[in-house]
Amino acid sequence: MYRSDRPATRAVLLALTAALPLALAACGGGTDGKAAADGGAPVDGGKLVFAVNSEPLALDPHTSPQDVTAIFTRPVLDSLVALDSAGTVKPWLATSWKLSPDQRSYTFTLRRDVTFSDGTPFDAAAVKANLDHIVDPKTKSQLAASQFGPYKGTDVVDRYTARVNFAKPHSPFLNVLSTVFFGMESPAELRKGPQAQASAIVGTGPFIMERYTPHQGITYRRNPAYKWSSPNAAHQGPARLAQLEIKMLLEDSVRYGALTSGQVNAITAVPPANLRLADRDKRLRVERVPAGTYSYFPNTTNGIFTDAKVRDAFRSAVDFRTLVGSLYFGAFKKAYSPLSPQAPGYDKATETQWGYDPAKAARLLDEAGWTARDGQGYRTKNGHRLTVRWPILRALDRESRATLAEQVQAEVKKLGFEVQLQNVTFNEYLVKYGKADYDLLDYSMRADADSLRSLFDTSNITKGPRLTQNAARYSDKEVDGWFQQALASSDQAKRLALYTQVQHKVTEQAVVFPVYVQSVLLGRSTRVHGIGFDTQSFPLFQDAWITRG
Amino acid sequence: MAESATHVRPPRRAARRGARPLLRAAALRLAASVLVFWGAVTASFGALQAVPGSTVDALLGNNDASLEVRAQIIREYGLDRPLLEQYLTYLGHALTGDLGRSYQLNQPVTQAIGASLGSSLRLTASGMALGLAAATVLALLTAHRRRWVRAVSSGVELLGVSLPVFWVGILLLTLFSFRLGWFPAVGGDGAAGLVLPAVALAIPVTAVLTQVMREGLERALEQPFVLTARARGMTDAGVRLRHALRHALLPVVTLVGWLFGVLLGGMVVTERVFGRPGVGRLVVEAVVAKDLPVVLGVVVCSAALYIAVNIALDLCYPVIDPRLRGAS
Repeated sequence: MYRSDRPATRAVLLALTAALPLALAACGGGTDGKAAADGGAPVDGGKLVFAVNSEPLALDPHTSPQDVTAIFTRPVLDSLVALDSAGTVKPWLATSWKLSPDQRSYTFTLRRDVTFSDGTPFDAAAVKANLDHIVDPKTKSQLAASQFGPYKGTDVVDRYTARVNFAKPHSPFLNVLSTVFFGMESPAELRKGPQAQASAIVGTGPFIMERYTPHQGITYRRNPAYKWSSPNAAHQGPARLAQLEIKMLLEDSVRYGALTSGQVNAITAVPPANLRLADRDKRLRVERVPAGTYSYFPNTTNGIFTDAKVRDAFRSAVDFRTLVGSLYFGAFKKAYSPLSPQAPGYDKATETQWGYDPAKAARLLDEAGWTARDGQGYRTKNGHRLTVRWPILRALDRESRATLAEQVQAEVKKLGFEVQLQNVTFNEYLVKYGKADYDLLDYSMRADADSLRSLFDTSNITKGPRLTQNAARYSDKEVDGWFQQALASSDQAKRLALYTQVQHKVTEQAVVFPVYVQSVLLGRSTRVHGIGFDTQSFPLFQDAWITRG
Repeated sequence: MAESATHVRPPRRAARRGARPLLRAAALRLAASVLVFWGAVTASFGALQAVPGSTVDALLGNNDASLEVRAQIIREYGLDRPLLEQYLTYLGHALTGDLGRSYQLNQPVTQAIGASLGSSLRLTASGMALGLAAATVLALLTAHRRRWVRAVSSGVELLGVSLPVFWVGILLLTLFSFRLGWFPAVGGDGAAGLVLPAVALAIPVTAVLTQVMREGLERALEQPFVLTARARGMTDAGVRLRHALRHALLPVVTLVGWLFGVLLGGMVVTERVFGRPGVGRLVVEAVVAKDLPVVLGVVVCSAALYIAVNIALDLCYPVIDPRLRGAS
């Protein structure tokens, strides 16, 4: 999900929406080359103030699934490997790795010159301490541990060699390992217990956390000893900025006002309504970085959406392109697949698989037997109305999604659908979710190809106490088989081909209605240069610099 | 409820005199405070339990947390114990000053509240002081003046009460921070950063208090003693300041106690707009996440503050009104 623009109270929702595995998505490496070109020679020193639109519940990315946690900790945490924009895995704190023939063990050779900012040396024991910390139930990991899959344990082979073992092949491992949710924290800090990680995270990164003030912000100073930059960084050595501050400004208009008045130098989530103004402002630049997809999921196991024709009719009845275009001022584009277009493995063919076609929608509903109309003009069948129960969290709404839902409600009413928008609390939502007491649910995710498994694999249909993410409750033996093959294959091309097949099939069967491709809208003063983005679209500050004045 | 009680009480208490009745009154007060505490804790505990859904679901959402993590949370926070037992354990700990650990924040509740309370109190106190000062000036200037003066003032007051704090805050920021650059939008705790949020808070306070105070002033100005004072040759300003104001202050003091609670409770909006830390945001987050210890901790602290403020205000009554001092 969108780990990016999440207002504060929504931090919790984020818990709900966040969390699918990572985006292989794109734009790694950042914009450095270009930025340096238009800004002259990089300046050393100075302070950058950055404002975000949500606040972290937990500061430790091993625990939290939140975007804002990732943004806060990426400056201090490095990873064993890095992903570039093409989705290729590159060495970072690990100089090389080898996969065993049975594909169950990864042996990493580590850099020997790395130290944590508290002085602890980085070695194989530190890697083991981190990976074990992620799966320790006491860490209460809401994301990283489940991405770890069948992790068995880590062996310290020698001081700078670590072997990570799995119970069965788990091909997404290197990708997730590159994310900040698997960032390397100082083992000395980890030993102090979760309370230490609530107030500071200590890593090997280009910045060192100085002071975290909940609800307000966090300050950093640069790590002068840093010489192990990510392979995606534009320069090696210590960060250019002497200081970095991240503030939490949850109100859109305040965050934007703070940027235009020069009180902060850059912000996440420029409000779409301000985009045109921002683009005209000569002192500002807005970077649009595709991140994930916002979709509707029909419940395929009970109610009207068990019928594929009714599902297809619903998505054909809505002119999503026009609705999305006018509501977001062109900031977001219409989506066709649960994957966003820049993600490796995106199936471009989905763009012609479906679209706005009210005549087809009407025909499908007739074919499905919803031919009668009641007094209010809604279609009926055997005395039942064509009703869609749709729980929405109005209190935690963001990106005007509730408004969009109302517009969709009006659109499908023309075809005879009655959409009941049920305004529920977070807890009521989870109860309904657990009991599958809904016809439609909406959420967004930072979908990468591997996350399709969370969305559409039979094993991810919620049953028992654990809530899982297959909201469509979709179950298909063929698709399950493709997921198994993808998990077991370390051949990237083969995996992506399998995920393309998945997208084609779930689109054909209308088990997901993709709505829009969300972009991180990062606004910055023209004095600021070199902010990069990792493959999950989180900002990187290692190469950032700011002109004086 | 509380304000009407405090309003009637002073005369009755003042009727008794001497050290023993005073002690008795103090003891009664204390007993009542304990009851208020207990009631507040029990009501919030009950309310949070009545919210549908389990705590562990609220904490985990539909993230892919493993069953082990689930079990760990249930075990660590004792969520599988009977409700009555959870309730009694909590009460027991609270009595010893241990408000427990936050489910969500990985820190003791006292620490989480301690980090936010100071900022909230500074803001409430400055907003209240500003509102009180502005209301006093406005009421003194407009009471018993020409009809149009009062009409304009009433109109402005009505506007002040009706404007949403959220909107006022953004307006103030846009003008004084983004446009004029006089105050920081994101100043944190410094004095300059406190001005705009305090003004935003003070506007509705001023509006309410001015109306009450002007009514009190006008009633006092019609009393025979005012005529006597004027007959002695006292200036209009003197009459208003020395005689009428005292009479008008009593209901205002009562109202201040109540407003204090309202401000503290409605703080979250101001905190969000001005990007300030505070208990408002702390508790709203905690309610959404069913973070019981934090919610209860904030309730206990707010109850304590509310009681303390009202006791302090009770002590003000005799200072303002000599008739309440008991002695002849």
